[in-house]
Amino acid sequence: MTAAFLRTRAFRDIVVVLVLVFGVGSIAMLLAHVSPIVGFGALFDGAWGTKGEIAETLVQTTNLLFPALGIAIAFRAGLFNIGAEGQLVMGGFAAGWLGAQFPLPGYLAVPMVLAAGTLAGGVWGAIPGIMRARFKANEVIATLMLNVVAILLTTYLVTGPLQQGGANGSETGPLPKAAQLTHLFDTQLTWAFVLALVLAFVLRWVLQGTVFGYELRAAGDAPEAAKRAGIDLGRTALIAMSLSGAIAGLGGATIVAGALHRFNTGLSPGYGFIAIAVALVGNLDPLWIVVASVAFGMLQSGGIAMQAEAGVPKEVVSLIIGLVIIALAGRRVVASLRST
Amino acid sequence: MNATLAAVMAILGLTLIKATPLIYAALGGVLSERAGVVNIGLEGILIAGAFTSVVVSGATGNPILGALAGVLAGMLLAAILAYVTTRLAVDQIVAGTGLNIAALAGAAFGLVLVYHQPGASHEVPALGRTGETVLVVLAFVAAGVLHLVLTRTPWGLHVRACGEDPSAADSAGIDALKTRFWAVVIGGAIASLGGVYLSLAELDLYSDGMTAGRGFIALAAVIFGRWTPLGATGAALFFGFFAALQFSLQRAGVPSELLQALPYLAALVALAGFAGRVRAPAADGVPYVRS
Repeated sequence: MTAAFLRTRAFRDIVVVLVLVFGVGSIAMLLAHVSPIVGFGALFDGAWGTKGEIAETLVQTTNLLFPALGIAIAFRAGLFNIGAEGQLVMGGFAAGWLGAQFPLPGYLAVPMVLAAGTLAGGVWGAIPGIMRARFKANEVIATLMLNVVAILLTTYLVTGPLQQGGANGSETGPLPKAAQLTHLFDTQLTWAFVLALVLAFVLRWVLQGTVFGYELRAAGDAPEAAKRAGIDLGRTALIAMSLSGAIAGLGGATIVAGALHRFNTGLSPGYGFIAIAVALVGNLDPLWIVVASVAFGMLQSGGIAMQAEAGVPKEVVSLIIGLVIIALAGRRVVASLRST
Repeated sequence: MNATLAAVMAILGLTLIKATPLIYAALGGVLSERAGVVNIGLEGILIAGAFTSVVVSGATGNPILGALAGVLAGMLLAAILAYVTTRLAVDQIVAGTGLNIAALAGAAFGLVLVYHQPGASHEVPALGRTGETVLVVLAFVAAGVLHLVLTRTPWGLHVRACGEDPSAADSAGIDALKTRFWAVVIGGAIASLGGVYLSLAELDLYSDGMTAGRGFIALAAVIFGRWTPLGATGAALFFGFFAALQFSLQRAGVPSELLQALPYLAALVALAGFAGRVRAPAADGVPYVRS
């Protein structure tokens, strides 16, 4: 059992990731004249040292988990959605703008804000889905372009026609108290974390235990066979892309409702891109993605402490994440692609 | 009358300045995609060219050495992408995305190491007016040469064959993996000149985020230009023209975000097939594994 695991691809990937994290990290720290022991010590301590730091790590975990789950759904269907960043931004904008514009009473406010984000992200994911289903347009390039368009569009809306008088024009107005997520344990952590965990279990069940999940995986693993078996590939692509975008959009809404309490054009430091690494490290399996998102959440929150405490530029973390993505680009996602 | 003429000339001049880095990046993208490798990492290659050329020019005091080093850095990054996508047959899109993240972070980290400050480098010896003119002219020369290479030379035919059907190319005695590898690496060399132009010709320093998504606009130009060197150059000029008009149009009340979004929207329209028949090379983006 153990010996068999040591020979699996998953194990090999874990080794590669660990070598990259500690190898590249150590070299970078030595270049910055910092002992790797001090550097990594500051990173781990900054991520797990106090109650507040643990909470921040789990907040970063949450922010990565939503888009990573969305990406996994699309990748499993054989669709390279690299547009999670744009879908997350659109979700955050819809949540922030509607939440501030139409203050609803009590228990209605939070569901509306989250639903608005989910819907907006879903629509933004559906666009490349429709383009793929109707015009056979390559979803990779489409989602890539839509990332930039999302940021430009929300910047335009928030500073122009939909302005709400937020600070320096790049923000929406503040969310009313009723639309903000409740904090847990007196920290920055909100129940968005719990929501993301529940969602991971639900998606795992959808993928493994439902007819839809089966069709989705079939479309991804063996599109030709799926087509012959009567699965409508266009329809599957559209649903998978919409669902994928909706989950990323929900993530954007939780950032707005949980932490910022308003939409801000700098909402995401690239969560949608880092989430690609999270989804790949997590083997596109929702439950493993939870584990991977904790690891990357730790790098995100600990990186800031590493810079402040040990003087290692926090870009080292992004450098490692980029290399991890390159190293894991050879996953089985690859096998299936590009037959419409 | 003279004032109008001067204004028109100013816009055209600005168009060339804005278009030149896009042309280089787009030509690099065309070569690589015609061989069947989608180079999402163009942005990272621009960053590598821009950053390395500044560091080497600063260290040696010689901007031409700097430019050469920038090209080498671009080739090195492209070689990494080429190696993992041909020899290891990993996914091109995912690998390219990783390359962009790593290059941006690597340059930001490098700034702190070399200049002990985040954000931007010091000013370094630049290529100057003459160098800038040479690079602008060279961009158009490169477009013409690449067009001839792709259409008139045996190697160009090999490249196109690998982009359409690598397995058939292999059967015909063309080493598909080797051809793809070198197409990506040479494409990286061409694209990196765009980065060199940004940091050593248009300016004399590197700052974080200075490439500002030009690698992605170049990808849009490749599609809008229908995967041909001349078409991509035309698309880059078109996008450069709107970038040049940005300030005047902004004063006339056109939102700048709309103008910035134009290349991406144009590419989306082209992708959806509204701009006539657009077809990528048949094996574009498909890893080739010998059986």
